[in-house]
Amino acid sequence: MASQTPAVVMDNGTGYSKLGFAGNDSPSFVFPTAIATKAGAGSAGSSTGSRPAVSNKPSFLSGNAGASSHLSGKRGTEDLDFFIGDEALAAGNGPGYGVNYPIRHGQIENWDYMERFWSNSIFKYLRVEPEDHYFLLTEPPLNPPENRENTAEIMFESFNCAGLYIAVQAVLALAASWTSSKVTDRSLTGTVIDSGDGVTHVIPVAEGYVIGSSIKSIPIAGRDITYFVQSLLRDRGEPDSSLKTAEKVKEEYCYVSPDIVKEFARYDREPDRLLKHTVTSPNGRSIQIDVGYERFLAPEIFFNPEIYSSDFLTPLPNVVDGVIQSSPIDVRRGLYKNIVLSGGSTLYKDFGRRLQRDIRHLVDARIRASEARSGGARSGGLDVAVVTHKRQRHGPWFGGSLLGQTPEFRSYCHTKAEYDEIGPSIVRRFALLGGPGSS
Amino acid sequence: MTIAPPSPTLSFHSSLQPHCLARHASVGLSERLDPIPPYGAVLWLTVARSAPPASIDQVVSDFDGVTFHLSTPESKSKILISINVKCFKELVQYGAQEVLEREYGPYIVSPEPGYDFSVQIDLENLPAEQEAREEMIMKLALLKRNAMAAPFERAFDEFAKLAEEASRYTSESAPQGIKEGGDVMSIHYREEEAIYIKASFDRVTVIFSTVFREETDRIFGKVFLQTSCRDATECASGALPQHSPLELEGVPGVKHAGEGEMSYVTFVLFPRHLTPQRRYDSISHIQTFRDYFHYHIKASKAYIHTRMRKRTADFLQVLNRARPENEERERKTASGRTFRVQS
Repeated sequence: MASQTPAVVMDNGTGYSKLGFAGNDSPSFVFPTAIATKAGAGSAGSSTGSRPAVSNKPSFLSGNAGASSHLSGKRGTEDLDFFIGDEALAAGNGPGYGVNYPIRHGQIENWDYMERFWSNSIFKYLRVEPEDHYFLLTEPPLNPPENRENTAEIMFESFNCAGLYIAVQAVLALAASWTSSKVTDRSLTGTVIDSGDGVTHVIPVAEGYVIGSSIKSIPIAGRDITYFVQSLLRDRGEPDSSLKTAEKVKEEYCYVSPDIVKEFARYDREPDRLLKHTVTSPNGRSIQIDVGYERFLAPEIFFNPEIYSSDFLTPLPNVVDGVIQSSPIDVRRGLYKNIVLSGGSTLYKDFGRRLQRDIRHLVDARIRASEARSGGARSGGLDVAVVTHKRQRHGPWFGGSLLGQTPEFRSYCHTKAEYDEIGPSIVRRFALLGGPGSS
Repeated sequence: MTIAPPSPTLSFHSSLQPHCLARHASVGLSERLDPIPPYGAVLWLTVARSAPPASIDQVVSDFDGVTFHLSTPESKSKILISINVKCFKELVQYGAQEVLEREYGPYIVSPEPGYDFSVQIDLENLPAEQEAREEMIMKLALLKRNAMAAPFERAFDEFAKLAEEASRYTSESAPQGIKEGGDVMSIHYREEEAIYIKASFDRVTVIFSTVFREETDRIFGKVFLQTSCRDATECASGALPQHSPLELEGVPGVKHAGEGEMSYVTFVLFPRHLTPQRRYDSISHIQTFRDYFHYHIKASKAYIHTRMRKRTADFLQVLNRARPENEERERKTASGRTFRVQS
């Protein structure tokens, strides 16, 4: 083992980046995917932050070649003067720096920033020499192949990394569910419900390949739950209803109830279900706020979105059912049988159980209806199972860690030599890691 | 083809000597390569924040193929930290064991199988004050630095001894041994690369042998070193000479001119770097030279790529502007007849 360096697993998400080494149970670093650069220091009109100042014409046309935009103006360390992660947010609060988010909607938007973000993550945070390590990166479903090629160009040409594998986050989330005791066959077929901060995706995966046409997104995720908690606190006139407090309440007290009407009744019968939360402000004062119905109402917006939003009204179980129904008929059984949760907003207690029950209701109702229509035929039933596991929060990262430590991982990677031989198009195809035939 | 300094980083007024590396810290540079590996964060959480003990089992890597293993083999409150260094045998030969014993005395346990050195901390038995705890974490996080420091410390001591002896002679009457200095200590810290250290009465010479797998990287490296040397006020380093330095004459395993891609970077540490006050920082900085060097090569590439993208965007803009407008277009009248518009 010591002779082989562990693979580096990097999961760069819209909100947070998860970095670590394969084989570990948690990432070594989790920090915001943010980069703070000096905003146009010295060069006029560079609203693009770190890039060499943009004039309307290329410098070789505008006559004053080598003006402030290029080398002559750049004798200092401007291009190295930046921060990433939490430091970036801290620097962004001060003067002189502007914070940028190189990833939008899961896809890399600004390659200049991303390249520097990676450079810093590798050298400053992970402290590895990229030439000595294999890398496992993640990408969102439906990532254009050009983005993959750009990624490979950076990883191989800038960093000379030894080998590279790019995996789809949803597939890794499926792999992460293998740690659950409920999962017996390590299949890569299933439906992934990935709910982070900004958006919730329902992604069907068959044999390790994403069924792109059936993916659905729901505009309700962690941030909305926080807002909802906040509005409930405000309505009640709590002394502190800041977003931060709402987030704390959400994370510490919320759970999913089987039936809200009964839950309301229960709260009325048992007043000890109403809790107090103590907020300590930075100046040392502490205030107590009440925590009431929002404990089960907040996550309820997944199941009854009408209590929060007026424009999106389809409950999550119906969306999941719809996604599976729109997938090819021969994989539907597998998709129902293995519904995997991933992301921070799926961590509420009993979230999986409620989801499973609701989806099963939908499926059973449909089966009964078609039995009635067929006049006497009996259905064998359909198995619906939602898999909850311990690694949900950093699901894709953990899946990557799991697959990255397997002995055959390296043979699935494209190496630097192969890249030099064939070129960036080599990363358009990767053999399926963890698929049939591997251990 | 001449290569313009590819990145601002190359035009540093730096002599690449430890005190100058330290100066980079003021612009936020060499702090990027602080000798703290990623496991520091885990330790920080469990020890300093006194989070509830949890079972840990992590393998993390550091530069130069160094591996750490953090685990809680016996109980959740006892954290075992093991380190695997490729050249540990050589380091022990140069006194690493003593250095580590000095630094970690009470924490040392017998090395875990597969690793070279282990320390264990007991969470139930920590220093009470927060500051002492933080200090302890910092110390534990510097395992690699301290292990690698041994040969440097030895060389510095040797220098002090030789300097003292030499002060008793004039340059003519000095016996052979003092003029030549001590033996060359070689540390093969990577597969193909090594550090050679030699103490003399007036300086300590540190030589890095480097190999570049990439032709581009070699050019970048060369420019980087040349620029740094040109700007240097007093730089004794030959930037990547093609032959091996004279100091390494007779050292086994040193390849000579024409044998492969090996090149050498020489640092001369003068007495002012070797004062007891400077010693700690000098050792910390010179150790990470290779990583620092490679970091800058890669940062330069990133900078060039930024400019290439920018330039491509510029060219595309020019092309788009140059595209002729559609001069002849067919139009239809209300009655359905077509005619061509002359621009």
